[in-house]
Amino acid sequence: RPRHPGGRTMLLPLLLLLLPAAHGTVQLPYRPDLTEKPKLEGLRTASTFVLDQPRCVFKDYGNADIWLVVALDQAISNFSNTAGPGTPETAFQRFPDPVRAYMTLNATLANYPCPKPDGEITVLRVGSETSCAEDVSRPTCNGPLPGPGPYRVKFLALEGSVPVAETAWSVPIMLRTAKSPSSIPTVGSGHSAGMIAITTILSILFAVLLAGLVAMLCFWSSDSCSGSSTFSKPESVSVRRYNTHHVYDQPAARL
Amino acid sequence: MAKSDDCVHILQGLLVFGNVVIGMCGIALTAECIYFVSNPHDLSPLLKTTEDSDFNAAAWIGIFVGLALFALSILGIIGVIKASRTLLLVYIILMLITFAFEMASCITAATHQDSLTPDVFLKQMLERYQKSEPANNSDNEFTKTWDELMLQNHCCGVLGPSDWQEYTSAFRLTHSDADYPWPRTCCVLDAQGLPVNLDGCKLGVSGYYNSNGCYDAISGPVNTHAWGVAWFGFAILCWTFCVLLGTMFYWSGIDY
Repeated sequence: RPRHPGGRTMLLPLLLLLLPAAHGTVQLPYRPDLTEKPKLEGLRTASTFVLDQPRCVFKDYGNADIWLVVALDQAISNFSNTAGPGTPETAFQRFPDPVRAYMTLNATLANYPCPKPDGEITVLRVGSETSCAEDVSRPTCNGPLPGPGPYRVKFLALEGSVPVAETAWSVPIMLRTAKSPSSIPTVGSGHSAGMIAITTILSILFAVLLAGLVAMLCFWSSDSCSGSSTFSKPESVSVRRYNTHHVYDQPAARL
Repeated sequence: MAKSDDCVHILQGLLVFGNVVIGMCGIALTAECIYFVSNPHDLSPLLKTTEDSDFNAAAWIGIFVGLALFALSILGIIGVIKASRTLLLVYIILMLITFAFEMASCITAATHQDSLTPDVFLKQMLERYQKSEPANNSDNEFTKTWDELMLQNHCCGVLGPSDWQEYTSAFRLTHSDADYPWPRTCCVLDAQGLPVNLDGCKLGVSGYYNSNGCYDAISGPVNTHAWGVAWFGFAILCWTFCVLLGTMFYWSGIDY
């Protein structure tokens, strides 16, 4: 019976092939990413970040609930797809300690219609719900992230409680860390060219004027001391000329 | 000799003209500084804790220097016409004193202008804007001034909304980062004062928030003031320098 051994060996690989299918999770080639278009100022803040919606990714899973899994970078290998959302093991309020990955942003395929209409901004803001951040009765809260990360996310499709499809993990996402304002240097950062120019030029001008004044005073005191030829009795109100010879020749030119 | 008479006349004419210009500039300087002192720009609450007192001092000095220049220019004109050595000597000495004061005023105004870097405003804004327990009334004024500034100029922060993200602040202590990445005043508001699209503003979608910083709006008026005092004063002093040199030369040639 040549077929029997062949059939047995064929059965084994078939069973092996069916095994993963029975545990269900299809690995979709999509990788969640931060939104690149349009450009957002608040793409990453200190406690939130913005992802593109997974449009046209879960096309075959119309009956599934699509969850977002947010995990610490070092905890992704520990995460099991069988962990149920809304349980204490995946509750946001217990993240990051002891829970290392939580599930949030429940949606269905209807929330992510395909194709994406042009001109619409289709994003998911992770961390936007502040009202339920402390509310343990809402374990699937999309609360603000407690630290700068790094975090990794993926989408997981569950039918009932059975995982059927998942995307790849995203690249590590680091959030912003705010510095203290006392780190801002406010001590005088140096002087502008204008101020240096003003100071230098005015100082030089002032020095020249002072020198001129000193020269004048020396000139005057040497004049009065030595009684030079230019000295003569002052007249009260008259315009003096350097050369008095022509005073009477040009009377009309007097001021 | 006719030539030297003409030279004297020309020199006297020039000096009289120079003094007339100085007198007019003195009046202009006084008027300008009175305007600055009595009409400080609306941003004075912002500048109150910075070295605004320096600028005020420069403006006050400018007022008195302007008046002194006017008075001295009249004295100078009389001295030149009368060719009186005493008068001109007094004129020169007083002018030098005025020159020194105006020099101080110019340099102070120019230094003040330099000291108002964006960092100064940034630090102040982060530490005082929306302070939850305002220590005194001036913090309330400060917040109000900033809100008005941001509303009128459609700007946010000093360098941009990222100021609120890059640094912790008094605002951040009372407003969570997820709900208020930046103050609501940074959003584009409708007629009722509510954000046109709050989610768009929080995400930072262009068109729903103000993306540019307010530093240009602040530094504009401040720079105008500083330029007015510093550079106009500098121009006057250069002119005064020439007139004084001419007067010294004239003085040394006067017969006694």
